[in-house]
Amino acid sequence: MSIPIVQVQNLSRRYRDVTALDGVNLSLEQDKIYGLLGRNGAGKTTLMSILTAQCFASSGDVQVFGEHPYENEKVLSRICFIRESQKYPDDFKPVHAFKAAALFYKNWDQAMALTLAEEFQLPMKRRIKKLSRGQLSAVGVIIGLASRAELTFFDEPYLGLDAVARQLFYDRLLTDYAQFPRTIVLSSHLIDEVANLLEHVIIIDKGRILIDDDAENIRGSAINVAGTGARAESFAAGRTIVHRENVGALVSLTIEGTLSPAERREAQELGLEVSPVSLQQFVIRKTLDAGAPLERASTGAAPVKTAGTPTRTGARR
Amino acid sequence: MSAIVNATYPTLNRNAGHRAMGVARMQLINKWTFLGIPAVIIAGAFLFSAVIWALIPDSVEVKYSGAGQAVMWYFFGLGIQSLTLSFPFSQGLSVSRRNFFLGTVGLFTVLAAAVSALYVVLGIIEKATNGWGLQGQMFAIEWVAEKSWFIQWFFYFVLMMFLFLLGFWAATVYKRWQTTGVLVMTLSAAVLLVGAVALITLQDWWPAVGTWIVALTPLTLGALAFVLVLVLGVAAYLTLRRATP
Repeated sequence: MSIPIVQVQNLSRRYRDVTALDGVNLSLEQDKIYGLLGRNGAGKTTLMSILTAQCFASSGDVQVFGEHPYENEKVLSRICFIRESQKYPDDFKPVHAFKAAALFYKNWDQAMALTLAEEFQLPMKRRIKKLSRGQLSAVGVIIGLASRAELTFFDEPYLGLDAVARQLFYDRLLTDYAQFPRTIVLSSHLIDEVANLLEHVIIIDKGRILIDDDAENIRGSAINVAGTGARAESFAAGRTIVHRENVGALVSLTIEGTLSPAERREAQELGLEVSPVSLQQFVIRKTLDAGAPLERASTGAAPVKTAGTPTRTGARR
Repeated sequence: MSAIVNATYPTLNRNAGHRAMGVARMQLINKWTFLGIPAVIIAGAFLFSAVIWALIPDSVEVKYSGAGQAVMWYFFGLGIQSLTLSFPFSQGLSVSRRNFFLGTVGLFTVLAAAVSALYVVLGIIEKATNGWGLQGQMFAIEWVAEKSWFIQWFFYFVLMMFLFLLGFWAATVYKRWQTTGVLVMTLSAAVLLVGAVALITLQDWWPAVGTWIVALTPLTLGALAFVLVLVLGVAAYLTLRRATP
């Protein structure tokens, strides 16, 4: 099950004064769902564009299905990447776009495309350029799903979709993936929402890969401990503190690793509240810390907004 | 294209030609762009010309109409459109640049060949019917129509290819280098042109150029344009090779 289909070595992409990708090393395995997470402008779309030979690297090497994808029809025919800002021919309606996709994807499932269009309430006979943002996203999502390409990228697929449509997308993705396993890369900055889908998480920030690990490992890799300052600090002594937030006399610490049952009891006795760290919190911590060293971030002078409510998606053991 | 029953992915071995064909079919999904509008332009231009011919008194010997070239200018626009509108989408469907080029230019080559043939046939009919019974002259342009049918066809064909590829290449340059690219391209063309005029003037070559122009035949002009077409085609392909959507 661990056949690498994408291998990236020391990949960089520089624009005139911006480094979009900076020495990226990466490998994607067959039949897994990946989350490519990061802030806007972190380099997600650039990375996907280079993997699909839509854009070019400044340096480094990319291998997809064992070969370089550029002008390589053998490789390209197995890839689908509808970008978030995908352009369609001016006079195209969704029905045309699906017809075109059917020409190039041998596993294209027209019946599925039609069902999805109905579920997303996509007006098939309206010009694509007149569609709303959500409907435009739906066109891309449908092409991505129905193409059944062995390597499918979804680039911020939920933009403009309402909650029902987003859930629909996640459900359909999982059902279809179970039936037709393939490698899926979901790029997203709405992390908690997709966290449940992901088997593997790649966090990218400022063109660098911060984390590249199984979602399970990440969920178990940190924990939140909150309570009065001194008690929490002493409890956390000797552990790696990933993040620290002060709210009045209370402090919330994100510490690396897991707690043993004995430690959990100890925390309880100290009146500390232990909660799992959601993937989203984890990503925020990691990207913030990557930007500012821990010492400076932890002075606690500025009241920091607590990062969200305890989550539905975090580790629950 | 119905639902797939098996979950296995057989090793893919699509031949490239098939996907170039797919690009041609994609360009034809909306029939208007490549077929409908040219047909309407040719038919419309002809009908308008016919009405005008009918209005002009018959004492005029030949009633000339330049409306035959209308569709050629549309082909210039079509060259721009077929790149601008479809290239980014074809990239989303993972079509190689090579196959996008082959499919699109190939489709237009077939179209240009067909329209050129139509022009030759219409020119023959025009001559045989005394200008559609109205002394009109739209398809059988004197300078060209007196030549053999093949030279006529070749002349129209090269002209259409030239205009299409000019638009296609310009759009590709824009796609790759945006406004700067198009600006540099047109400025260089202007510099070349002015330089040539200056050279001819300074060297006192105008009489020679004059005789050369007079001596041009549809065949020699067509052959010259054909060389330009090849240059444009290669330039467009090389520019497209590194263009991003």
